[in-house]
Amino acid sequence: MAIHIHYAKNNIEANLKNSKVQSVPFRIHADCDAPIKSYFEPYVKTNDQEVLTASFRGYPLRGKNIEVPQGYVGVVLHESIKPSTDKDERKFYVVNRFKEMTYWNWDKIPSKNDPFIKAFDWIDIAEALHSPVDEE
Amino acid sequence: MEETAKNTTEISDLATLKTFLAEEDNAQNVVYMSPISEICHDYPCILGIDEAGRGPVLGPMVYGTAFIPINEQTLLETLECADSKALNEEKRDQIFEKICQNQLKIGWGVEVIAPTSICNSMLSRSKYSLNQVSMDSAVGLIRAALERQVNVKHVFVDTVGKPEKYQVYLKSLFPKLDITVAKKADSTYPVVSAASICAKVVRDHALKVWDFRENVDVKEFGSGYPGDPVTKKFLVSHCDPVFGYPQLVRFSWSTTANALENTAYQVDWEEADNTEDGMSKTPSITAFFKMTNQKQARKRHDFFTQRCLTNNVDF
Repeated sequence: MAIHIHYAKNNIEANLKNSKVQSVPFRIHADCDAPIKSYFEPYVKTNDQEVLTASFRGYPLRGKNIEVPQGYVGVVLHESIKPSTDKDERKFYVVNRFKEMTYWNWDKIPSKNDPFIKAFDWIDIAEALHSPVDEE
Repeated sequence: MEETAKNTTEISDLATLKTFLAEEDNAQNVVYMSPISEICHDYPCILGIDEAGRGPVLGPMVYGTAFIPINEQTLLETLECADSKALNEEKRDQIFEKICQNQLKIGWGVEVIAPTSICNSMLSRSKYSLNQVSMDSAVGLIRAALERQVNVKHVFVDTVGKPEKYQVYLKSLFPKLDITVAKKADSTYPVVSAASICAKVVRDHALKVWDFRENVDVKEFGSGYPGDPVTKKFLVSHCDPVFGYPQLVRFSWSTTANALENTAYQVDWEEADNTEDGMSKTPSITAFFKMTNQKQARKRHDFFTQRCLTNNVDF
């Protein structure tokens, strides 16, 4: 199986709008547009410690804004043809980009205990491991 | 005292109450109280507590309290504070106005518990039940009265669950007060009726001015009781397949959950507790003595497993 990601470099850097990306602690069995502006965003509140609160179907959510690390760019991919077998080639298109996202937990303030937030450590470690060594 | 004062608004008539209800953030709890008269500081008072809107599938639950010096309590009967269930909305509004006009003798307070707040509590990780929400609200109102130096002597509460247990619980929190917890206290004690009327009036008006932030065009949603045909129709016609309902609706009610099962997308949540899986993976002590020739597959370092990071050369 091969995966192709299609994009025009100029698009990513200039033309695409910044997308609002939310990572939510549940799975909705659907792939569709949702009225986030009217049903979700009006209820999002920020407290003193920059912790966000919101509610989804009655469940309390706690969230934090996370910036994409320097030197990286977040991209939203779209696949128009779903593969029928796992050997099919897959084609993704870059449809949007983002610099920041909101990470939500169910009734728990996002912290270093969350694998998602911890995963960002790898970026610094990879940098240290893989950057060329100067011999001086 | 400072802390409760922050989100407590003083209200002295029905018109002001309506204005505040219309402007308030309806996803958040709020406390309203009448001004407290001198005689409530000086003379021992009775204090009643009752709730409105515990059962309905939509809107806030309102806890109410009313207090009056013991030697003035006949005034309650003059104001027709009797069984509030026998009164219609108009009559309740009239009595509430009269209570406000008598603020030199009677005091009142309410807590509006937002529907968002009710279901967020019931669907929290630590499962905060509706009974606990109710009791905490009642306790909060007693404290609010005490903090404002109301000379509370005897508290009468309409029960939630078993009256005996509730009474013991309240007594443990307020050992100096006389506490009476009873079923249907609303129709037995006029001071509880007065509390009940305040709570009902506030809930009625909160629903009348409900501001739907969801941008939905709602004409009517009925009483909120699951059997009400208007409420049923509202639940059928205002379901969003992703978000479910506007936050006026209590998602933690089985009526809501059942309705969503039929009309909205399924949503899966993480398990409340997944630590048990980790326990079962601990090998038994005898496993250490078994001879095995099989080499264990190389395990990834904890650094990666804890972060759910894997190698994905092929994507």
